[in-house]
Amino acid sequence: MARAAGGRDVIVASKLSRTFRRADKQTVTALDDVTFGIDPGQFVCLVGPSGCGKSTLLKLIAGLMLPSAGTLEVEGESVTQPGPERGMVFQQDSVFPWLRVIDNVEYGLKCRGVGRAERRRSAEFYLERVGLSHVARAWPRELSGGMLKRVAVATVFANGANVLLLDEPFGAVDYVTKRNLHDVLLALWTEAGSDERRTVVFVTHDVDEALILADRILVMHSGRIVDDLAVTAPRPRTTDGLMEPTMVRHKHVLLAHLGLEDAKGAAEAPAGARADP
Amino acid sequence: MKWLIAQFWRRRISILVLLAMAGLWQILSTIYTAEAVPGEPMVPGWQIVFSRTLLSLSDYWRGGLNVPSVAEGAPQSYLAALLSILDHSVDTIVRLYVGLLMGAIVGTLLGMAVSWSRWTRRIVDLPVQFLRTLPLLAMVPMFQLWFGIDFVGKIAFVGYGVGVIFFAGVVNAVKNVPQIYIDNARTLGASRLQIYRTVVLPAIFPEMRGTILLSLGIGWAAVLGAEYLGAQSGLGYIIIYSEQFAYLDRMFVVALIFVFYASISYAIFDRLSRLLLRWTPQAGRVVAHG
Repeated sequence: MARAAGGRDVIVASKLSRTFRRADKQTVTALDDVTFGIDPGQFVCLVGPSGCGKSTLLKLIAGLMLPSAGTLEVEGESVTQPGPERGMVFQQDSVFPWLRVIDNVEYGLKCRGVGRAERRRSAEFYLERVGLSHVARAWPRELSGGMLKRVAVATVFANGANVLLLDEPFGAVDYVTKRNLHDVLLALWTEAGSDERRTVVFVTHDVDEALILADRILVMHSGRIVDDLAVTAPRPRTTDGLMEPTMVRHKHVLLAHLGLEDAKGAAEAPAGARADP
Repeated sequence: MKWLIAQFWRRRISILVLLAMAGLWQILSTIYTAEAVPGEPMVPGWQIVFSRTLLSLSDYWRGGLNVPSVAEGAPQSYLAALLSILDHSVDTIVRLYVGLLMGAIVGTLLGMAVSWSRWTRRIVDLPVQFLRTLPLLAMVPMFQLWFGIDFVGKIAFVGYGVGVIFFAGVVNAVKNVPQIYIDNARTLGASRLQIYRTVVLPAIFPEMRGTILLSLGIGWAAVLGAEYLGAQSGLGYIIIYSEQFAYLDRMFVVALIFVFYASISYAIFDRLSRLLLRWTPQAGRVVAHG
């Protein structure tokens, strides 16, 4: 199960709950007494069926929503509002259509009063890293869906966030584009040395996506964390690597959690594949 | 010169329609010869408009610039008429645009206050909604007594008329700003003021286009309405003065001057908004070629 909060964790949630009141006056529990901790520099995927509370959890970490009960700390500070140290990439297109691409990438830096030359340098660097230097002066309407995602990724990286929150960011793009975006994201994430990597929390319902990206997979169901898998396969993860026995077992476990297979696969998973004994 | 000819050629259909309308007016003036009072035709033909009427506008020249006014005993002259049109136009246009600008700024700020916080909503929303229901033109006498019959009263009146429209437009447009942009700005570290300046303002502008065009029209109506009552200058003053003597031809000329100014202001706004809206997906859209 989810590991208890440790001292050096960058994100620490303790007995975190969030309820909503629906229009019909019913109370819905989106997040139910969740406790976990996330190591700095870890790439964590949150996997679960639709409505399991994974997006709610991400919004709480982002500070776009406040918990009903429990505590949540990021880098030792209680989360009460959004902040630039926690960058977010949304599922919908969030790129401002009234700003040119490069001005979008600079936006957060400009808001915080970073000098013109410095923020331009940073924006140009990250645009180059996501392969969009040639459209820096274009309007977002002139870009494809996949390119807009690259802009969003470049924007959070340029903004210097230590914690990156991605809410099904590539859910609406085609398979090939999605694979390319994984490469872009992983390249940006791994290019920093392993001790200064940014912490990533990536929400997805795509099992293969989680296995390609994650160091650790938290599985959610009905507002609770029901499983915690450590994915230790070496990077970069190739198609062959995904067919290794441990990866296949992970996949069976995840599919069982999503209700696509019976729990047999999960039961067969060896203890060594779990994060904790 | 080449450019001018090209422009005319591009708009040849519109120009033909305009000429046809002018011709119809002339035909109407020869068929329908009734007079409001003896010597003042109901439908003044162009031969009257461009001679007697134009000359008669020198009656409203207030003197100065070494051009003596009719009131000082000088005969009517085209120079005095031209100066008179310019003089009164400037008064009206200054009242209009200062009022428009102030109304737009105040209306926009109040409209944004409704979504700024719960407290600003409580303070602003109801009183302004209440002000909005007051019939605009019926308020002219009150504004005159409060602010006087000169510039301040007219500007305040135009500002009020335009401000309430901007308020309603902004409140509505802000509701339609997609939450995703606000969330994105917040997670990137923008303050509330920065969000209003860099997200809300540009996001509402496409929707505000309609409001701004509407307020240009309301602005003209408001400034004229204000000038009808008690002003000593301005195009509205010329109209109301003409009405007392049934000078239909002078009213007609002033109406043409309005059309001229309004066309210019719409054209400028169109250019400006097109520049500001280059980013919209609709920019340069064509529904069907042909």
